[in-house]
Amino acid sequence: MIATWVGGLLRWRTGRLAACVIGVALAVALAASLGSFLTASKSTMTERATRSVAVDWQVQVQPGADPGAVLALVRTTAGVRGALPVTFARSTGFRATVGGSTQSTGAGVVLGLPDGYQATFPGAIRPLTGAGSGVLIAQQTAANLHVAPGDEVTLALPGALPAPVRVAGVVDLPQADSLFQQVGAPKQAQPSAPPDNVVLLPAALFDTLTAPTRATDPAAVTTQIHVARNAHLPADPASAFTAVVGAAHNLEARTSGGAVVGDNLGAALDGARSDALYAQVLFLFLGLPGAILAALLTASVAGAGADRRRREQALLRTRGLRARQVVALAGAEAAVVGVAGGLLGLGVAALVGQLAFGQASFGAGVGSATTWSLVAFGGGLLIAGSAVLVPALRDLRTATVAQAGRAASSAHAPWWSRIGLDFILLAISLLVFRASGANRYSLVLAPEGVAAISVSYWALLGPVLLWLGGALLLQRLAVLFLGHGRAVLTRLVRPLAGNLASTASATMARRRRPLARSMVLLALAVSFAASTSTFNATYRQQAEVDARLTNGADVTVTQPPGARAGPDAGRALTTAGVRRVEPLQHRFAYVGSDLQDLYGVRPATIGAATSLQDAYFSGGSSKALMATLASRPDSLLVSNETVQDFRLNLGDTVNLRLRDERTRDLRTVPFHYAGIVKEFPTAPKDSFFVANADYITKVTGSDAVGAFLIDTGGTRQHAVADELRRRLGTTATVTDLTQTRSAVGSSLTSVDLAGLTRIELGFALALAAGSAGIVLALGLAERRRTFAITLVLGGTARQVRGLVLGEAAVVTLGGLAGGAALGWALSEMLVKVLTGVFDPPPAGLAVPWAYLAATTLTAVAAITAAAINGARHAHRPPIEELRDG
Amino acid sequence: MSSTCDVLVDCRDAARTFGRGANAVVAVHGSSCRVRAGKRISIIGPSGSGKSTLLHLMAGLERPTTGTVTWPAGEGDDADPTPRIGVVFQGPSLIPALDVGENTGLPLVLAGLPEEVARGRALAALELLGIADLAARLPEELSGGQSQRIAVARVLAQRPRLVLADEPTGQLDRATGGQVIDVLLAAAAEIGAALVVTTHDPTVARRLDTRWRMHDGRLEMEA
Repeated sequence: MIATWVGGLLRWRTGRLAACVIGVALAVALAASLGSFLTASKSTMTERATRSVAVDWQVQVQPGADPGAVLALVRTTAGVRGALPVTFARSTGFRATVGGSTQSTGAGVVLGLPDGYQATFPGAIRPLTGAGSGVLIAQQTAANLHVAPGDEVTLALPGALPAPVRVAGVVDLPQADSLFQQVGAPKQAQPSAPPDNVVLLPAALFDTLTAPTRATDPAAVTTQIHVARNAHLPADPASAFTAVVGAAHNLEARTSGGAVVGDNLGAALDGARSDALYAQVLFLFLGLPGAILAALLTASVAGAGADRRRREQALLRTRGLRARQVVALAGAEAAVVGVAGGLLGLGVAALVGQLAFGQASFGAGVGSATTWSLVAFGGGLLIAGSAVLVPALRDLRTATVAQAGRAASSAHAPWWSRIGLDFILLAISLLVFRASGANRYSLVLAPEGVAAISVSYWALLGPVLLWLGGALLLQRLAVLFLGHGRAVLTRLVRPLAGNLASTASATMARRRRPLARSMVLLALAVSFAASTSTFNATYRQQAEVDARLTNGADVTVTQPPGARAGPDAGRALTTAGVRRVEPLQHRFAYVGSDLQDLYGVRPATIGAATSLQDAYFSGGSSKALMATLASRPDSLLVSNETVQDFRLNLGDTVNLRLRDERTRDLRTVPFHYAGIVKEFPTAPKDSFFVANADYITKVTGSDAVGAFLIDTGGTRQHAVADELRRRLGTTATVTDLTQTRSAVGSSLTSVDLAGLTRIELGFALALAAGSAGIVLALGLAERRRTFAITLVLGGTARQVRGLVLGEAAVVTLGGLAGGAALGWALSEMLVKVLTGVFDPPPAGLAVPWAYLAATTLTAVAAITAAAINGARHAHRPPIEELRDG
Repeated sequence: MSSTCDVLVDCRDAARTFGRGANAVVAVHGSSCRVRAGKRISIIGPSGSGKSTLLHLMAGLERPTTGTVTWPAGEGDDADPTPRIGVVFQGPSLIPALDVGENTGLPLVLAGLPEEVARGRALAALELLGIADLAARLPEELSGGQSQRIAVARVLAQRPRLVLADEPTGQLDRATGGQVIDVLLAAAAEIGAALVVTTHDPTVARRLDTRWRMHDGRLEMEA
């Protein structure tokens, strides 16, 4: 009996069955794709986070401890691939005479590197010019001393005679911050910047030159054991962090206080573990609604045939089938839908993975991919059961044969509408959202150095309830409009339905519930697409802002400290592709005892070379504050912290102590507080000042420029930077936006949001098309008899087409309008709730109009195709339709 | 002998075959008949004898495979664009999403009459059949007999010259079926239309003046 029934379904209900299968397949494919992607993404996070770490551990040998013993201990520690001793000595300064001119520097650091250091730690030193071994000098130091390979530099070491050495090569120290860290000191006690002057010596030479120093003050020479680890780390960054920190603590314990571990590996994993949690949260925020939507789509598809199913069920029961047998038939239908949809979904997921990521498993391991496939397949079966079997069971339990034989149409509002559940959900959503915003909560809490991390999942409630409440409210409004707005509806459809407009609106009023469901489904699909794409676009916008803030402009030429290049030096930077060169002064200034960066700008022209967003400032727009700096040159923009610390009011005098280049002494210069600056191109994240460059020049006697911001019109940044690098050599640092873009690792870079959204945006399009087209098509298919009656009563195919298109237009307009409203509200809330993933936080949403237009067009195309197809079916001889019905 | 313009439907050797080749089923063999104005005709025959198909050929809802079916009295004109033939179907033929008033007026709206006019004629037809109180109900709220009465009212509102009723009592009990035939006859008399009713029930057939018989797709006319 079951085989006959299933055979009949396949033969005669092919369309409805296929649509259900597609709905399940979409849900399964989305869940499998996202799950596999998330697993793959998380599994590479540890590797990605640790890839850039040059020296895993810097083990600082404590005073009094034997470096040799510590080295031996480290080398025998499990998971250590290599360990080499590096010695450090402070220098009072370096001096060099080149071309008859003698240059000297302030205090510096001399390092002693053992043989094989660069082979063991390839990322620690980057040779720029000259030899890669021997006496090496840092790029900035070389620039300060105007030396090149082959020149002589004299090192001044405490307690020793000046020691001349010959430079073999100029190098860059990419991870100078961690190399010169204060091992064991808390973050706030770390030096604000690595030393400007650094010379690297072979260990033997270092030992020779520092022997007198060591003799007079053994503490002046310190030793670190640099460690490269090869211990296997868990793929999950949080577990890897725990493992690495545990191993570091274990080593410290085994040295009995003889060494402190500077755990660079742990620090990198510390950041990555919150990324992993964000990935998880994003999966929930952005992925789950899609899967739910696909499930709703399946339920709607199944629901579109509910009347027919009830009639069939009633017929089966009148023919003597017991309830158990009817359930078995419904179960068989659910199984066909679930299994076929599940298999199709897994196939689609594999195809998406292959096409988008080059691997059917999205890069996840076989175990993970299989697990996710099984989970998604199980979900598909569940959806099929809920959409097909559960309604059948419900009908069996609640309806008599006679009731079931008639099309169900309840005049009563559903329970959720009667109790106002939509308003309740929206109110709770707003309350949760406000509460989370008011408490300045952090969605992902991963305190630095602490093993425990947590996610504030309750914040998910805001968007989830907004989604649900919004959907129900849309349903309520759509039902209200269709039921009570017949006059408007008639006018709306008259262009399509002609003199049948009133009939069309009457039909829609009576079919308001299924039509409202179609509208809501389309609205949910559109809002899913809109909120996901807007979130993604906003993230990309902020990543770009971050890159621009970090780099300063398309291309930035940074002068070495102490360089005296004035604004005119910018002329030398003009090359093909350069549109504008803008000088930006960079000094340091004391406010009280606090040393801060001071940027001197030309207010009238700075905006032409770099992007100054209003969000960077407070107390006025960027334009207004630049105008203030121009009109009152002693104006000063300060950070919010400074305003709080010094209780500043607009117009207050702020006395800064600046170095006067004429006297080489600090002098007190009065400024007036004119506004708050939160971000500024090339500026650090913490406190800094922005002032008028001409005023700074006047009061310090120097027009020296810290950096030149170069506008290339957003193109050819790489080529322009290469050309300038070639021209300037080691005398200045040239960075471009493309390079910075990949280097600034805001937290989501490692989550690979682009991959996540690529999957989602594709599915969102499919869901929009499916929601719009399939549901309408099935609704129309179920009403073929109605159209047949219309035709046999004298209606023309054109009239039937008008009725169908009128209905399609109303569903489309309602769905798109509702989707746009819900999508906007969701985007606003998502961006605020997930603010932690943005760096800097966005001032406004970035709307991806092209994608949204594509979504709209897809939905409209799907609806139109469904409507035209539905109307074409009405061309079948109506008598046949009536006979079959 | 009546003139040609009295002939509402003229079937000449009209035959209808469904399917092709080995699967072909002849529903109606070449049949010739004429329905003249004012006639009351029953077509009686067992289920599957081709009665409904012949009626559909007369209504223009099916095309003959061979032979011709013509309507010498013509279609509706500008003065009254409603069709000259009204059909009452065997099964449910009301549109579920429209109320009784709207269902009754639908053919008129489809023919291009203004909505108010259609509404007025629909209510008048319902009134005439004594079922105006059902005007605001939906089809799902009606019994089988009521539905068929509405279908008759819908035909009445069209004021056709020929009413074709396909087994109008087929799904009704005898008493209700009798009432529906009463209504049909009254409606046809009211608008002066000819009436052709297919039925397998001799009691129904006897209510009409002329009886034609269908057997295995062949039409036989009783004297």
